[in-house]
Amino acid sequence: MNAIARQRRRTAILALAGLVLLAALMLTGISMGRNPVAPDKALAALFLGTGDSGDVLLIGRFRTPRVLAAVIAGAGLAVAGTLLQRVARNPLASPDVVGITGGASLGATAAMAFGLNATLTPLAALAGGLIAALVLSLLAWKRNIDPLRLVLVGLAVQAGLTAAVNLFIVRFPAELASSALRWTTGSLYGRNWTEVIIGAGAIAVATGAAFALHRRLAVLDLGDDAAGALGVRPGPARLQLLAAAVVLASLAVALTGPVGFVALAVPHLVRRVAGPPTAGTLGLSALAGAVLLLAADLVAQHVLPIDGLPVGVVTSTLGAPLLLALLARQHRSSR
Amino acid sequence: MTNAITAAGLRLAYGRTAIVDGLDLDLPGGAVTAIVGPNACGKSTLLRGLARLIAPEAGTVAVDGEDVHRMSARALARRLGLLPQQPTAPDGISVEALVRLGRYPHQKALRPWSKADQDAVESALERTGTAALRDRAVDTLSGGQRQRAWIALALAQDTPLLLLDEPTTFLDLRHQIDVLDLVADLNDGGRTVVMVLHDLGQAARYADHLVVMHEGAPAAAGPPAEVLTAELVEAVFGVACRVVPDPETGTPLVVPRASARHRAAS
Repeated sequence: MNAIARQRRRTAILALAGLVLLAALMLTGISMGRNPVAPDKALAALFLGTGDSGDVLLIGRFRTPRVLAAVIAGAGLAVAGTLLQRVARNPLASPDVVGITGGASLGATAAMAFGLNATLTPLAALAGGLIAALVLSLLAWKRNIDPLRLVLVGLAVQAGLTAAVNLFIVRFPAELASSALRWTTGSLYGRNWTEVIIGAGAIAVATGAAFALHRRLAVLDLGDDAAGALGVRPGPARLQLLAAAVVLASLAVALTGPVGFVALAVPHLVRRVAGPPTAGTLGLSALAGAVLLLAADLVAQHVLPIDGLPVGVVTSTLGAPLLLALLARQHRSSR
Repeated sequence: MTNAITAAGLRLAYGRTAIVDGLDLDLPGGAVTAIVGPNACGKSTLLRGLARLIAPEAGTVAVDGEDVHRMSARALARRLGLLPQQPTAPDGISVEALVRLGRYPHQKALRPWSKADQDAVESALERTGTAALRDRAVDTLSGGQRQRAWIALALAQDTPLLLLDEPTTFLDLRHQIDVLDLVADLNDGGRTVVMVLHDLGQAARYADHLVVMHEGAPAAAGPPAEVLTAELVEAVFGVACRVVPDPETGTPLVVPRASARHRAAS
């Protein structure tokens, strides 16, 4: 068997394992809680509406949307991170670096500041993320998008937006400041079906676009000249890929707040276990992002003794050592 | 169709600095053209301009009279391939996966990998002698192997026109000859090949048509035996030399004159 067939088989096995793991975590997610329900009863309550009416309400109304929000936001963040790292040719690129999370946080915080209904917060966050990305593209575009310029401009945009968010939080009354702070940490608390259904549809479309663009991305990975010679115009191609990444990240962040490190870490994890990037490993990234975010949320809810811990704290706590290890490795290999 | 390239009034610039200005050039179809010249004379820029990798500020490039700037990027990529100078492969990618990317301009959305695609890849691996390396990661190959893998990618692209930017740089003599022999083979199959070379003797030996670039414009162009004179080499490269027939092929061979100091030492 040759290298390509070997990698395909490996990807398929990992995908299968990932799906099984995801299903198990989802089942755990709807079963566990302060009021535990046996898994079979939980499934019956969800799909058939049978059993204790309190359970049906708890699982159908609260636990399932939360589990699904983790799955789709994790997948969206991971795919966005993979695209961003390849487009920016920078292994440390993520929505935090290019200003998308800053824009979303500012959008959400501003919505709270102006006293908009809480149901509008995700929309404001989505708009904030997209506007930040638009500003970024305008500033970074010069006939083409230079990867390094993209990251540098992104860092500047993010820094400015974060400062604005902090300004809001400092000036807010304590109660509003606390809910803004909670939002900007990233939390899956209180997601509802409307948000989940809209988010799932939009993230599915954007992920589909990412897969459709994958051949172009693979050619772009060869460098601008080689890509140009193969019929891919680097500027427009990079812009299309960036658009897919930005939409995915903004949607995910709108749903959960800026959960840290999933977008940064998943591409590296997948690369380590599944080898050089292909369309298949892009799919694995989506799966791994879903598994990771859902697992982190379960840890936050059920394993740690602190009540109401936002999932963003867990992913960042797990992510920080990973990032440090990554930097250390890169430092060693560059010497 | 002969796949000749014509440039007229071409001006290529990076920012405000024009590297090539007002260049007119006819490169014969079905032939091997070598572009030579001192460092920074605009050879690579010219090649990039011919492949439409830089948009010209003025002038046109045409393949068989058809303006390349009016073709779609993909349509051009089915006519003309280019091996960039020192390209970089993504970490860990295998030789076969790299060569498969050469099929990009022939693929259509939603159409899976076809038999024609696989055949083109197999033939490219075969012709470049990289079939045995297909499962190796490109970043673990030696310089010569890596260069052949990239040439295989350009071959899988299956274009009647092939531009090579310094395909022999950083290769030892044996691998330089391998690459140049491969170029000669490709041309026997009817391809138009245009390559940037540094070695004047190799250029004269392998090319049917020689373009000597000097400060962004062709100083001379034509069959190597007519173009490569001692006066021209001195004017363009600033090196006093003799031009003698290559003992193997009779093509011109440039031998720099020994400097006075050097002669005294020996």
